Amino acid sequence: MEALCEFQVLSPTSLAGVLEARTAHPQAQLLGGGTDLVVNIRRGIVAPAVLIDMTGVAELRAIRADAQGLEIGASVRLAEVAQHPGVVAHYPVVAEAAASIAGPTHRNMGTVGGNLCLDTRCIFYNQSQWWRSANNHCLKTTGEICHVAPKSRGVCFATFSGDLAPALMTLDAEVDIQHAAGKRTLPLRDLYIGHARHDGSGQGDGKHYLALQPGEFIAAVRVTSTPGLRSGYDKIRIRRSIEYPVAGVAVALRRVGDTLAHLRVAVTGTNPRPVLLEGTEALCGGALDARVFKGLDELVRDQIMSMKTTFTPGHYRRRVAGVLARRLVQRLFAG
Amino acid sequence: MTEIAPAHTIGGYVPMVDGPDKVSGRAKYTADFIAPGMLAGRIYRSPHAHAEIIAVDVSEAVKLPGVLAVVTGADCDKPFGVLPIARNEYPLARGKVRYKGEPVAAVAAIDEATADKAIRLIKMKVRELPAYFKAAEALAPDAAQLHERKPGNIERDVLFELGNVAEGFTSAHLVREATYNCAEVCQNQMEMHAAIADYDAVRDRLTVHASTQVPYYVHLMLAQVIGLDMSRIRVVKPFVGGGFGCRTECLNVELIAALLARRIGGTVRLAINREDTFITHRGRPETDIRLKIGLTKTGRITAVECECTQRGGAHSGYGVVTILYSGSMLYAIYDLNNVKYIGKRVLTNTPPCGAFRGHGTVDVRFAFESLLDQMAAEMGLDPLAVRRANLLEAPTFTDNDLMVNSYGLPECIDWVEQKSGWKSRKGRLGKGKGLGFACSHYISGASKPVNWTGEPHATVKLKLDFDGSIVVLTGAAEIGQGSSTVLVQTVAEVMGLDISRVRIVSGDSEVVPKDNGSYSSRVTFLVGNAAIDAASKLKALMVAAAARKLDAAPGDIECLGETYRAGAQDKGLTFEEVVAEALKDDGTITVTGNYSTIPESHGGKKYRGAAIGGTMGYSYSAQVVEVTVDEETGAVTVDKVWVAHDCGKALNRLTVEGQVQGSVWMGMGQAMSEEVGYHDGLLLTANMLDYRVPTIQDSPPIEVGIIESNDPHGPFGAKEAGEGSLAAFLPALTNAIADATGLRFNTLPVTPDRVFDAIDKRGRTSKTRNGGA
Amino acid sequence: MATIIELTLNGRKRTDAVPGNRLLLDYLRETVGLTGTKTGCDGGECGACTVLVDDKPTLSCLTLAATVADKRVDTVESLGKGGALSAVQRGFHEKLGSQCGYCTPGFIMASAGLLRRNPRPTEDEIRAALGSNICRCTGYVKIVEAVQHASALLATGEARSP
Repeated sequence: MEALCEFQVLSPTSLAGVLEARTAHPQAQLLGGGTDLVVNIRRGIVAPAVLIDMTGVAELRAIRADAQGLEIGASVRLAEVAQHPGVVAHYPVVAEAAASIAGPTHRNMGTVGGNLCLDTRCIFYNQSQWWRSANNHCLKTTGEICHVAPKSRGVCFATFSGDLAPALMTLDAEVDIQHAAGKRTLPLRDLYIGHARHDGSGQGDGKHYLALQPGEFIAAVRVTSTPGLRSGYDKIRIRRSIEYPVAGVAVALRRVGDTLAHLRVAVTGTNPRPVLLEGTEALCGGALDARVFKGLDELVRDQIMSMKTTFTPGHYRRRVAGVLARRLVQRLFAG
Repeated sequence: MTEIAPAHTIGGYVPMVDGPDKVSGRAKYTADFIAPGMLAGRIYRSPHAHAEIIAVDVSEAVKLPGVLAVVTGADCDKPFGVLPIARNEYPLARGKVRYKGEPVAAVAAIDEATADKAIRLIKMKVRELPAYFKAAEALAPDAAQLHERKPGNIERDVLFELGNVAEGFTSAHLVREATYNCAEVCQNQMEMHAAIADYDAVRDRLTVHASTQVPYYVHLMLAQVIGLDMSRIRVVKPFVGGGFGCRTECLNVELIAALLARRIGGTVRLAINREDTFITHRGRPETDIRLKIGLTKTGRITAVECECTQRGGAHSGYGVVTILYSGSMLYAIYDLNNVKYIGKRVLTNTPPCGAFRGHGTVDVRFAFESLLDQMAAEMGLDPLAVRRANLLEAPTFTDNDLMVNSYGLPECIDWVEQKSGWKSRKGRLGKGKGLGFACSHYISGASKPVNWTGEPHATVKLKLDFDGSIVVLTGAAEIGQGSSTVLVQTVAEVMGLDISRVRIVSGDSEVVPKDNGSYSSRVTFLVGNAAIDAASKLKALMVAAAARKLDAAPGDIECLGETYRAGAQDKGLTFEEVVAEALKDDGTITVTGNYSTIPESHGGKKYRGAAIGGTMGYSYSAQVVEVTVDEETGAVTVDKVWVAHDCGKALNRLTVEGQVQGSVWMGMGQAMSEEVGYHDGLLLTANMLDYRVPTIQDSPPIEVGIIESNDPHGPFGAKEAGEGSLAAFLPALTNAIADATGLRFNTLPVTPDRVFDAIDKRGRTSKTRNGGA
Repeated sequence: MATIIELTLNGRKRTDAVPGNRLLLDYLRETVGLTGTKTGCDGGECGACTVLVDDKPTLSCLTLAATVADKRVDTVESLGKGGALSAVQRGFHEKLGSQCGYCTPGFIMASAGLLRRNPRPTEDEIRAALGSNICRCTGYVKIVEAVQHASALLATGEARSP
């Protein structure tokens, strides 16, 4: 039998109930399907005193997907997103990403909010208490150094591995962030601050990877439909189920005649944040030719930084991300 | 009128006799025996890889309310180990710790949470010593010694040369040499290790429920380590969730549970988690191989030189046997004359390796079949023709005195050649697709047991009572491989009865005869023969009783299973009537069946350790693997496997197929994704995300051909079916990748990043066949 | 701190006080005594603990017991009526979808979940539905056959429930 740290579980059924629970327990952690958080509790990585089960909150369980737009509540299960006819028809990148997460049973459990906020991962972090202690802990917990980059000067390189974020980022999604006093809306790409820069710019890293203030949580994610947009998601893993992505790539593009009119590419599993490649606009306006692919390769090379956070070597994750991006662009452009 | 006839199941498709328990959830595994008042055990493990223990401070843990016992190395000074010649491991470390994760202390408490708290209060003071995580580091001339009596950190050096190797190479048309590296792999059986120990202080008796493949070894080690007389110990093996070799030794888990229970005079459940199960290890060692083969123009092997180095981990375990198997099992598959073998088993500061399915043979077979394939391609020969040029002719003895009585390899090769469409499809599948071929073999139980006692090699008892049921009593451990089913079938077959009349009790030392356990594929052959012996004796008693009752000569009695009669015209006696007669004189009948291997099977004396490899019968396997390689991502997909396995005679085609598919697939895991990784001696992959066992989404159709060579000594002609097909998958895969890409992979596992790097290095455009990578 | 939960477990209502940190897995095994549900990893990596929560395959090792209040939980012990094996149980037994049996309850519940919503799945659908479960014995070939057999038993009426 597993001995977890002691905590209390609160199960509000309304948004008001969540806010009330949060006010009463400011340090409480939010629980979605548990496929990430409960694992970390079992490993002794986190030890919350209070968990707020979000899966019964009525306002967060709605999903609307049609030709006008997409809105998914944070407590919607991943399996539901993957199978929703409106999502499949109008936002294939989202359906494909959701359908590729972990394995089928995990998707019955995992929620959209949970996947968007998925804790960053590292082979030196996702280990037992004993293991981390035998390895002198690390920056992301209570340690002094990053074992991935011992000279990182306080920067943590733990990797973001959620699949939904890059998919939604290519659609310019925005998230509703709820707090006690109300709601604010943020472009999804701005939710992720794990830039992991060494320049002391104070931006986030693998440890501080979300732009959420204490007390804030994601209530919903929203997309406004762009007519003519084609989108898709692909990822590579060593095994075709259960695992986190070695690299995952989302692409959304528009083709007008023989011209690439619009291109967005986002990558996960490589950096401390999902990376929406900057500079893809410059590749648009012409035919889909060698120049585009070379440019795309360069963007991946410049912006994707895979460190040794997984058992699979970093250089492979970066390179294969480029391959997947090129293939997706080709497939979607061809229609 | 229906003809009365004996019932038969041998050769049929028979679901497992214990299947209903498993599918209903009724089957109880060790950790399921939840008893009121049972205490929770936990182990404190070393965070140091190699260190001298100065002090283990348990004072705070002892004081914690709810803690009933804390034990350390000071509480047990008796070492354990599966080989009588190599017992150098303590249940809880003494003097030194030798790997990260080695048990140092253990706690029993009222519940898991308290036990966990207590563990965190234990402090260890050490003087760090240099630690070696690679075989080469431990072999360095100035390396510190892990174990006192193991200079140079060499557990065992093996060297033999049979025939004239230099001459063999001189006479060859082509000589090639290559090096291979196979990553360490772990059994990762689904049931994590568990033991429940119950010490009855009033009667001074110890009962241990253990998830083991060999209750007898656990029994021996408990007596030795706990210091109890053997007669005071009872070992129960409930349902076991797989083993694949990691449970062929008594593990520290059973011993620590017993130490705690004895200290308290109560019941302790020590159910360790997945991480700790990985640390307990006993997997297949990382192996480096240098192999040199000489071939004539027609593909005849003229000489072989093989150097094999295994990173054995911190303790001896089965190490000596593993490194010997790797040499001896070069033989008995092809006709080899000039062979030199240099084996080194090295002690390192990593968890101890052990006997993983295909023990000792797999990595060397990978190298051998890879190099043969590469050389065949270079010479323009069909890889199948090269094997066919080197076949044995049974019966025969190999150069290292291994006895081969039945040899279905030629038929195995024919089967996969035909089923896979080899002749028409090989080399013609198009870009990124390929076919690969390889062979392998394995023993049906070692001819000489680890503990030589002079007793028969296997003993089975049958009990026949007033109720007309036959109970098979055996120590052969059912661990999912179907041993209980095959023994029930065997007894029923001899008696001509439906299997529903036969029950089986296995794995409770209080009831069943001792058995050497379930490993090296020994049960069907050795225990099966003992079961035939027992059933034949029981049948003779029944025939004698029927003769008495029918007033006929025993020779005239016809046994038809449920009916015994004195002639076709005779109405005969029912089984129950014969039982009643048979029980008249002495009541309940028990008979004993035995089996002993013949001396000719014991291997030779041509070199030290030459007995290892000796068996009554070798199984043979041939495989064709079809792959698709995505040259842009490096991802390899196995599209299909054809495997033919010579198991002598399939006693149960359903379980034979299951065993063969399971072995092939386990070979696939090792070949493609499984790898035990370390960071400064800490297991990086001690979980089932990073230790990548293939999922159903990664797993191909596996078509099985059963080849029946009818071994003259096997029970009904049978040989083993559960290990021999593992090894061939590895080279068949890399040979297929070579066919698809022209690149040879001599390093396992062949993960996408390795394929990607190799393709990248070569350049994606040219597809040169059979180049090096 | 304990929470009182009321749930329908294997068709029967029951009420228990469970501490917040009690996993559904441990609740089933240690509190209720239903040891058919197994644990095979340290959290969500093997599927041995799969049960149905409101008919959906769920990992009981990552589910807190407190969160199944007012839900239906079905374990392997719930299958098979009147002593007979259910279609999936028969499939796994008769086609050797189970060797050591340890992963079997998890596979059976994932398969039962599949057949409840899709009684005639294709091979691809079977493989997709069982992607969260690891088996170390069979190589999965006979597991696929077991589920196909179960589906056929349902189709012919030889078995009533998955």
